[in-house]
Amino acid sequence: MELLFLLSSFLVVALPGLLIRHVGVIEFVSLTASVIALVESFVIAFKVSSVGTYAPMSFFFVDALGAIVMLIIACVGLAVTIYSVRYLRQETLKDIIGFTRVRQYFVLLNLFFAAMFFAATANSPVFTWIFIEATTLATAFLISFYNKSSSIEAAWKYLIINSVGLFLGFFGTLLYFTSLSPIGAEGLVGWRSLVANAIYLDPLVAKIAFIFVLIGYGTKVGLAPMHTWLPDAHSKAPAPISALLSGVLLNVAFATVLRFKVMTDLVAGHAFSQNLLIIFGVISILIASLIILVQKNYKRLLAYSSIENMGIIVLGFGFGGLGAMSALLHMIYHALLKSALFLSAGTIFLKYSSTKIARIKGLLTALPVTSVLFFAGFFAITGMPPFGIFLTKVFILSSGMKTHPMVAGVVMFLMAIVFIGFFNHVTSMVFGKKPSEVKKCEEDIWLVIPPFGLIALALFLSFHLPLFLTTLLNDVVAHY
Amino acid sequence: MLLEIVFLTIVFSHITRKNFGAVLAYSMQSLAIAMVIFNSFLLTGATSLLFIASLVLLVKVIMVPFFLARLIQRHEIKFSVSTYLNVPLTLISIAGLVAVAHSRKFAPLTSIVPANQLLLSLALSAMLLSFFLIINRKGAISQIIGILSLENSIVAFAIFAGLEQSFSLQVGIVSDVFIWFIIATALAFMIYKHFGSLEVTSMKQLKD
Repeated sequence: MELLFLLSSFLVVALPGLLIRHVGVIEFVSLTASVIALVESFVIAFKVSSVGTYAPMSFFFVDALGAIVMLIIACVGLAVTIYSVRYLRQETLKDIIGFTRVRQYFVLLNLFFAAMFFAATANSPVFTWIFIEATTLATAFLISFYNKSSSIEAAWKYLIINSVGLFLGFFGTLLYFTSLSPIGAEGLVGWRSLVANAIYLDPLVAKIAFIFVLIGYGTKVGLAPMHTWLPDAHSKAPAPISALLSGVLLNVAFATVLRFKVMTDLVAGHAFSQNLLIIFGVISILIASLIILVQKNYKRLLAYSSIENMGIIVLGFGFGGLGAMSALLHMIYHALLKSALFLSAGTIFLKYSSTKIARIKGLLTALPVTSVLFFAGFFAITGMPPFGIFLTKVFILSSGMKTHPMVAGVVMFLMAIVFIGFFNHVTSMVFGKKPSEVKKCEEDIWLVIPPFGLIALALFLSFHLPLFLTTLLNDVVAHY
Repeated sequence: MLLEIVFLTIVFSHITRKNFGAVLAYSMQSLAIAMVIFNSFLLTGATSLLFIASLVLLVKVIMVPFFLARLIQRHEIKFSVSTYLNVPLTLISIAGLVAVAHSRKFAPLTSIVPANQLLLSLALSAMLLSFFLIINRKGAISQIIGILSLENSIVAFAIFAGLEQSFSLQVGIVSDVFIWFIIATALAFMIYKHFGSLEVTSMKQLKD
């Protein structure tokens, strides 16, 4: 019931949204849907933590992993919706966009939320694929939102690369259904049925299927070398959409990879999938860290940081054990912090009208609160204490030291490069003399509260994990 | 015979210089897929298969080619854009990919249903050729056709490997593909408007 209420709230807002003629109404109903989603996600998460799973009907199935992903979507989703209202108002005031664009934005935003929630809660792997593909469709026009040549190029790249990836993922998904051939299952086949029948999978077919799934969904996760769409899409989309793409969507896709990993491990052993995850993780961290060092655009800097962090998460699951637990926590922290950083980047863009690092000087003078948030976000995302990412990185590396010391050593070195690169860029933006054309005026509180809330939540979770969340985390590690 | 048509239409899409030719080839390819599904209906008597075959016929054989043809006519882009490899090299690559699909490396996949091993190898070849079509062609329309052909090839593989999905899932997949196509066509239209060409190599804004 809760899930239906949650999903229908977004659809109810999105579809008639095309007919609404008042911006205020669209904003209000979008905010209401996001609040409902947050409340219902917590209700479902509490149920899953106490009962184990939540499956109100055959179409839906929420386990601990699904519940965590739902919470991430809902928390970041509410912050993004609040921020979007103010952000779009500012852009409207500057005559960058008009009413039609605002309406289009909120309709697509709500469809995007609905697609992500469906993907995280669908019982069937094929439905999950359909809804992950639907996220691509909902966001393509959000990436080309400003109707500039560069944003259309980014949207085309995003659509084509992700669609090819997802079709490869679809092929891999279908191959897992060969396990059902001996029993001749019909109708809607759920994740649990596939796991239960995984023993009938041919190990070689399972291995090939996992390669297709990892490359396919891995494209959506932003793993290198399939990552090329990500910096373009994340840098060209409106800042709140970049926050969702980076902080939430990547995790929805990665959760799907984990579900297939379980089946593969049952027949092909853990080593096969773990080695693949380590390879893709290291390549992602390597490419991202080198580009971060020489990056000239702060939104692309954040996008490459997402590739690096997804690489760390994948690496953690590749190492397994403590690494997997830390990777899961890293996923939560990264989602909150990266979204906060993208939202802060949006405020910086509104002020300076540029995404070039070289053009941003004196942020501390022009936007004191946002600059502090941006600086705090940078410290947190690069793994500085007291933020939780410091510990997750340490635990992932220590877990790797036992089994893959060389890999852990190289990754530690690359993390240091990322910190140096980030530090160099962020300090040049925050300090220095503000350009004369940038006027200092009071910051809009509603552009500050959402990123502040996300960073505060990440900090809170760094010191204290609520019991229900700990239960969910332990459950995920035990199963995945 | 029907799967051979799917395979040959993809090969034709590689060598044709006319966009209309590629669109027609896709239409024929989709018709072959619709007939494969219709054949399954005749064998099993399941009415859901008849509905799916009709849906494929409506969406992939009629609507998608119609929209693509309109896009070509509207922008007068009758000839397709260039390829990265010339025709002889393209044909050599096609031969190589077909050999790979028939190699032992992919034997676990093509042996899923031993009786259909050759057909599954052919479907796998069609998948690899579709993938190559997306990479080798510089035109946005060719890339759209490449992705749609990739989907057709996967559907063909699934049918001959006995991996067909339930009715609701198949409807979901066809709907998803159709919405994808509408969005891809709209973006192609925007590309033409901004860049004056449908060649993806004309887009060079994002290099930093």
